[in-house]
Amino acid sequence: MKTRIPAVLSLTSLALCLVSPVLFFAGKISERTYRLAFLLTSIAWFVFAILWASAARKREGKP
Amino acid sequence: MASRLATLTSHMDKLYEFDREPVSSDKLQSGGKFAGLFAGEHVAATEFVIGAFFVLHGVGARDLLLGLLFGNLLAVLSWTFICAPIAVRTRLTLYWYLRKIAGPGVTFIYNIANAFLYCILAGAMISVSATAIGLAFGIKVPALDAVLPTSVGWVVLTFAIGTAFTTVAVLGFEKLSRFAEVCSPWIFVVFIAGAVAMLPRLGVHPNLDNLWEVATTKIWNGVAVAGQEKLGFGHVLFFAWFCNLAMHVGLSDMALFRYAKKWTYGLFTAFGVYPGHLLAWICSGVMVAAIGRQMDPGRMAFEAAGLAGTFGLLLAGWTTANPTLYRAGLALQTVTPNWPRWKITLVAGAATTVLSCFPVFFLKLLDYVAIYGLVLMPIGAIVFAEHWIFPRLRIEQYMAEKRGWTFNWSALIAWLGTLVICFSLPLHLYFRWLPGWFIALASYTVLMASRRKEGVR
Repeated sequence: MKTRIPAVLSLTSLALCLVSPVLFFAGKISERTYRLAFLLTSIAWFVFAILWASAARKREGKP
Repeated sequence: MASRLATLTSHMDKLYEFDREPVSSDKLQSGGKFAGLFAGEHVAATEFVIGAFFVLHGVGARDLLLGLLFGNLLAVLSWTFICAPIAVRTRLTLYWYLRKIAGPGVTFIYNIANAFLYCILAGAMISVSATAIGLAFGIKVPALDAVLPTSVGWVVLTFAIGTAFTTVAVLGFEKLSRFAEVCSPWIFVVFIAGAVAMLPRLGVHPNLDNLWEVATTKIWNGVAVAGQEKLGFGHVLFFAWFCNLAMHVGLSDMALFRYAKKWTYGLFTAFGVYPGHLLAWICSGVMVAAIGRQMDPGRMAFEAAGLAGTFGLLLAGWTTANPTLYRAGLALQTVTPNWPRWKITLVAGAATTVLSCFPVFFLKLLDYVAIYGLVLMPIGAIVFAEHWIFPRLRIEQYMAEKRGWTFNWSALIAWLGTLVICFSLPLHLYFRWLPGWFIALASYTVLMASRRKEGVR
């Protein structure tokens, strides 16, 4: 459970990273919005992925 | 001299002591683990440069797609049919297997050559990262024909980044390795996002109806930029095949495959090469075309993905230069056996930092990758001959180990002789390794066959 939540959140962030350029390409958002959205979803990925990796290591008994 | 060499050899053995024994069956890894391992590899800062260079070299769209498709297939098959079977049968690293075959002296030379080549590669990664930071400070990327540093700003920048990378590697290699695992999938996403976001600039319609037309006229239009050699299908095919030559045909990935349950796990390398050496190269090609076909990875990443793109490029350089520095340090530690890990990493980092000031290493990256593979490839051929051909020709195997030779001169002559021949072959640099492999294989077999009597005596 402790690994599942950050895992889901990090993978969602990564998927969202790909949504913003597609929306920009389709003309639905501006370039500025795309860049901001990409930056924010990227930060989210790093936060949740690091939490996920740390929880996974703890579960495996690694420091 | 002999006692000095014996001391070096003994220290070198201690360094690799932890993997001296063949891998036991309880430590073998599943296919899923291999798929995951390879999926995280092959997306480095250099992908920003390689894919872009194909555009600058005037590769056509069809040539690029077919070349990458089949070239990567040949690379996967090389891992599967050349590297993995030997690793699975011996369960040894190349270091220990080569030691049995060529003796500790040749293994030592191989290590030093490897360390030097690793330092240049890490230096190229630092240079690529420098283009990302240089953009913020208005430092121009050196021109395509630059060999020496072009400005004081460039030298200061590469020194600063090299120092930062080295310091982090000295302070905590393992933590950064863990961080690299987190970065890897995101860096791949940066490539995809950057390319998709650049498509409108190239005039691709949202319904993609003119995608192929744009690809063939504005991206891979078959026209090389001024001063760049024109490359075609064969060059792309061979480049995709040899860009990991030291790992597959050169057998250094025996270190990984000795943990494989079956040799067919070599096929899992497809999970790494197709995203990294096909998709990422295509994406960087799109990005460079969108910024007016200029070799400026920093500007490319920034314009394609904003600040996140700049960080992506920086992290791609950082996370891939780090293990390269580590490997270089490990190889160099054979010369300075009593030095602690931090000290040797510092030396490798300092050498790498100096090399990174010279733009030639990243501006001639395609040629460097070819030379890197070419230099180490004969060792793979020598090991292949000893493993598969010698038993069939009834040539005694592992004579160096059995007779206690420090240098197997036949291996050294075959290695160096092959390189001399390869560098004088009237072929394009990209194609030389293939005849070279057969030359190394044949010459080593003939030389060792002629020593059969010596072995009997």
